[in-house]
Amino acid sequence: MLVGTIIYALINSAILALMAIGFNLTFGISGVANFAYGAFYVMAAYGMWLIRNHTALPYPLAVAVMVAVNVVLGALMYRFVLLRLRGQALSEVIATFGIGLAILELFRYYGFVGFEYTLPVFSDRSFVVVGTYVDAQRLFILGFAVVLVACLWSFTHFTSTGLAFRGIAQDERTALTFGIDADRVAALSVAFGAGLAALAATFIIPLGSISPEEGYDVLIKALAVCIIGGLGSSGGVIVAAVIIGFAERFTDSYIGSHWTMLVSLLAILAVLVVKPSGLFGKQKELEERI
Amino acid sequence: MTESPLLEAVELSKSFGGVRAVHSVSFAIQSGELMGVIGPNGSGKTTLVNLITRFVKPTSGKVLFKGETISHLPPHRIVRMGISRTFQMVKPFYQLPAYKNLIIPLYSPRMKMLAGRRYGDRNAVALDLLEEVGFERDAFVAYKPAGALPQGYLKRLELAKTIALEPELIILDELFSGLSLAEVASIVPIIEKLRLEGKTIIMIEHRLRELFRIADRVIVMNYGEKIADGKAAEVMESDAVKNAYLGTENVCK
Repeated sequence: MLVGTIIYALINSAILALMAIGFNLTFGISGVANFAYGAFYVMAAYGMWLIRNHTALPYPLAVAVMVAVNVVLGALMYRFVLLRLRGQALSEVIATFGIGLAILELFRYYGFVGFEYTLPVFSDRSFVVVGTYVDAQRLFILGFAVVLVACLWSFTHFTSTGLAFRGIAQDERTALTFGIDADRVAALSVAFGAGLAALAATFIIPLGSISPEEGYDVLIKALAVCIIGGLGSSGGVIVAAVIIGFAERFTDSYIGSHWTMLVSLLAILAVLVVKPSGLFGKQKELEERI
Repeated sequence: MTESPLLEAVELSKSFGGVRAVHSVSFAIQSGELMGVIGPNGSGKTTLVNLITRFVKPTSGKVLFKGETISHLPPHRIVRMGISRTFQMVKPFYQLPAYKNLIIPLYSPRMKMLAGRRYGDRNAVALDLLEEVGFERDAFVAYKPAGALPQGYLKRLELAKTIALEPELIILDELFSGLSLAEVASIVPIIEKLRLEGKTIIMIEHRLRELFRIADRVIVMNYGEKIADGKAAEVMESDAVKNAYLGTENVCK
């Protein structure tokens, strides 16, 4: 049982990391907390479902289309809404949350609720891993999370756009003096985040179904992971996803699944009490206040 | 015929609410010139730099660079055209090692434009740049996080960041402030070398003695207006400048 729990905890961690990575990328670069993130996730999933069930387009193409749509919508949201609110964190949160709320409730209003709304698994085979049954989809998730983290890391370390991202993340004024267009980079960061939400949905939704609630759930999980890890820290996302992922599965297996939420929330509280800016957080003011 | 100036400011003005930070300032700077900008605190020197680099939008007036109007362009575009600046308050990327601070400007759009994709080993270029501004070659200091460097090195790093962009016009905003006499003395030759390479330089300074030694020309700001413009010695003799710096005789008594 222990080995099985560890395997599923690892997968759970990968799911959490996938959910959080887009939100974290956007925040880490431009400081924009995109509270419409969950809505982008769900919207992409519904979009893929609609394309798959109402057009002849092959499914991989549907995924590509929705990732592109999300990227474009993310950039548009930055250009027409966030650009005007830059620097006022609370306004950014209210505006993006409002947009997300509108998107999610619109889907509910038009009746997109039910078990038929789901996305196909990539392969319905399953494997025995160290004596535990694991379906292919979960293995794909694990693999994709690892690949994505590796790709993002090399992107931000070895490409000029990635370096510009990190430059902006550290100090916008300095980045400007290097001839980096801060607004373009911030728009890209929101767009990338939205695109990653679509990719995450493609991998994770097949395990369950699409619903407006999923949007709120993903946002909350992304927030929890990012806050524990330290907002904007990419190393933090991985560590935090592992902490929550293991806490959830181990509570499930050894204490009881009705305690899961409580234990993961306690984990969050414990981290915040000890280190208020998160495990890898850089908000020094928070640290120095206590 | 004199050749057209590299940079020209035409009746630049900026008001912050009711405060006229810069009021109808015009000047031209020829290629290869080193121009000092002096004036008491709050006289609008930094705002003038911010107007040229477009970190602040002018209320009226315009800036021409190589005959083209640039005052409507956003700051990153101005950097790409070849104007780069330092800040009075240095803001390096504190967590990155000193030489890594230069990797971002070396990968920046302007460098891509100038060098294309054949830019060689940028870590080596970064270390060369640091040596140029007076970091000891192969010393540990270039590999230290910028946050751990003393002020003198931070100012040098700031200078290295500006020249990393291979600009035609360099604007140094109080580069010498907060430095000891010895540190200033060691940075002056670096600036002189930049001039020999044909760079045009604008220096805002309070350290007049050092400035006058290297500047071809000085403009004096007071209450947002340009009150004098000319050779350093002439400028210091003018009554307007004496009044601005020392106050009128009545005030002195």
